[in-house]
Amino acid sequence: MKTTVIGAYPKNSDEDQELRRALHRADRGELDDAGLAKVFDDTTRRAIAEIETASVDVVNDGQVRWDDLLAPFARAWRGAERGPLERFYDNNTYFRQPVITDAIQSDGQTLVKDFAFARQAARAELKAAICGPLTFATLTAEDRHYRSLEDRTLAVADALAAEIRGLGRAGAKLIDVEEPALVARPELIGLARAAFDRLAQAGVALAVHPYFFPADKILDQLAAFPVEQVGIDARSRDTQALEGLRAFKQTVVIGIIDARNTRVESERESVGLIESALRNLPADRLWLSTTTGLEYLPHDIAVQKLKALVAAKHATGGVKA
Amino acid sequence: MSGEVLLTTTVGSFGKPDYLQKARNANARGKLGDAELVELERKATEEWIRRQERLDLDILVDGEMYRGDMVAYFAERIDGFKIGGLVRSYGNRYYHKPIIASKVRRPKPMTIDWFRFTQGLTDRPVKGMLTGPYTMLDWSYNEAYRTRRDAALALAEVVRQEAEDLQAAGAQYIQIDEPAIHARPEEIDIAIEAMGVVTQNLDAKTVSHICYGDFAAIYPRVLDLPVDQLDLAMANYDYRWLELFDKDPFTKELAIGIVDVHSHETESVATAAEGIRKGLRYVSAERLLPHPDCGLKTRSVEESEEKCRVVVEATKIVRKELTRHATPA
Repeated sequence: MKTTVIGAYPKNSDEDQELRRALHRADRGELDDAGLAKVFDDTTRRAIAEIETASVDVVNDGQVRWDDLLAPFARAWRGAERGPLERFYDNNTYFRQPVITDAIQSDGQTLVKDFAFARQAARAELKAAICGPLTFATLTAEDRHYRSLEDRTLAVADALAAEIRGLGRAGAKLIDVEEPALVARPELIGLARAAFDRLAQAGVALAVHPYFFPADKILDQLAAFPVEQVGIDARSRDTQALEGLRAFKQTVVIGIIDARNTRVESERESVGLIESALRNLPADRLWLSTTTGLEYLPHDIAVQKLKALVAAKHATGGVKA
Repeated sequence: MSGEVLLTTTVGSFGKPDYLQKARNANARGKLGDAELVELERKATEEWIRRQERLDLDILVDGEMYRGDMVAYFAERIDGFKIGGLVRSYGNRYYHKPIIASKVRRPKPMTIDWFRFTQGLTDRPVKGMLTGPYTMLDWSYNEAYRTRRDAALALAEVVRQEAEDLQAAGAQYIQIDEPAIHARPEEIDIAIEAMGVVTQNLDAKTVSHICYGDFAAIYPRVLDLPVDQLDLAMANYDYRWLELFDKDPFTKELAIGIVDVHSHETESVATAAEGIRKGLRYVSAERLLPHPDCGLKTRSVEESEEKCRVVVEATKIVRKELTRHATPA
C-alpha cells in the first residue's frame, strides 16, 4: 500500500503569505515576471517538501501555479479563454468558467516546465496531474465553436492527450486525471469513457480521480476504465463503494482522509476503512490518499491530515497482501 | 421614496475607504485600538449613507464597513464557533473559514447596535442584514453536529433571535442571505426548513440574496423558501435564469442584479436598463427591485458608487417609459 496526495496543496498559511503578497505586488506592477516565478518556485519547493516530510510515498507539485483546476489549460490552449466566475461544485471556492472561441489546440507543453521543476525539487516518487475532459467540457460557460457537448468533450480529450504525451516525454510515469464531473454528472459516464479512450492512447499510466460526490452509481463502469488507477472517496460522504471493489482490476486509490473537513480522522476510523477495502482488494492494488486536494483546508490542518494519512497506513501495517 | 415602482437597492456591502482598510489592518496588528476603529467604521458608514441618499437609492444598507467576511463576522460572535486558518476562495483571495467546534449559541445581539446607528442617520429604510443558517453551515467546517440538518437548524435558532431583535429595533426589511443554497441542490429542503425557523415570527419584509451557482438546479423549489423577496445575480448570467420563469412563473418579489460586480468596468446605463426591461417581462414593476448583482465589497468606493449610479440611472429611464406607456386616466 502506498500513500499519495491528489490535487492542490495550500499555497499560503497564516504564518507564510509570501505568495499571496507577491501576487498582489505583481498585480500592482511592483514585481516582475521573474520575481513572481521565483516565489512560485519557492512555494512549490515548500509544498513538495512538506508532503515528503510527512512521509507520503507518491507526491505531486501541489499545483501552486494553478488558479483552479481548469485554469492552466484555459489559459494555454488556443481557442479557449477564462470566462465568468462560478462556484466550483459544492465548495465555497470559485473558478473561472472556460469560454471556447475556436477549435481547441494544445502544444502539449502546458505543464512540462512545472513538471521538470518539480522533478528536480522532489526526492520521492512524483506524479503529474491534469483536469478531466468531462469536467472541462461540462463547466464551460460558452462554446462558440463545437456543436455539442460530445464534440467539445472529445476535442478537450484530444488536447489533454497532447498534454499527457508532453508530460510523458518530460518523464511523468503516472498522471492523475481529476474528474469530479464523473460523479457530479454520472449520466455522462459513456461520454467520459469515450474521452478516456483517447487519453489512454497517449501511452502514459493514468489515474482517474472523481471526487466530491459518491461514486456508487458508476462503480462497474469505472472498473472498466482504461486507466491504471481509480480514486474512490470512501470518507467524505455516505457510500457503499468499498463493498464493490472486487470488480476492479486496476489499483484503487481510496480517499480515507477528508480534505474538506477540519476534523482530523482517528487512526481507528481510517484503519476501519482500509480493512474494509482489503477484504475486497489485495494490498498491492490498494493506495491510500486524501479525498481531494488539501487546499480546501487551512495549512495547519492540511499538515495534520497528511500525518493522519501516513499514520493510518502504518497502523494497518500488519495486514498482508 | 423617489418612486413607487422599481425601488432600487443594493445587496449589502460596499467598498471600504482607504483610511478604513488601513485602520482595519492596523487594528489586526494591534496598532490601533478597537474604540478608534469603531469611530472610523461609523464615519465610513455615515459617508455611505450620504452617498446612497445622493445617488437616490430607495432602500439603503449600512454597507458593512464593520464586517469582513459575511460568515466570519457572525461566527466570531456565536459561541461554539472557532475561526480556522486562511483558506483560498478564488484567485488570490483568502478568508478565515470558521469551524463549528461545539454546539452554537448567541450570547448577545450581533448587529442591532449597528442597525440602530445607521437607521438613525436617514429617513430612508435601512435593511437589516444577516447571513442565513444554511450558508453559515455550508461555509464552515462542521465538527460538532452529526448531520448537516442538525447543524442548520441549530444555526437557524441563532439567526431567528437576531432577526427578531432587528424587527424589534424597527427594521422594515430583513435580508437573510443564502448564497450557498444551491451548493447541494439535494439539500434545499434543509435550507427551506431552516429559513422557516428564522422567519416564522417576522412581519418585516424578508429578503434572501442568492448568487453564484446553478440556480436552475433549485428552481422552482426555491420559491418555497419562506421569504417575500428573492435577490438574484442576473447580469453575470446574461439573464438566463429568467427563462426558467417561462415554465414556472416567479411568485415572489424579485430584486434583480443588473450590473456585474466582479469587473472593474461597469455596464452602460442602456445595458442595465435593458436588464430591467427583461425582468419586467416576468415580474411587475411594483415587485421588481433593480440592484447590482452582488455585494460590492471587492470594489473600490469609486467603483461601488459608479455601479450604483448606473443602477439608479437605468431605473429612472425605465420608470419614465412606464409612465409614458401607462394609459391616461
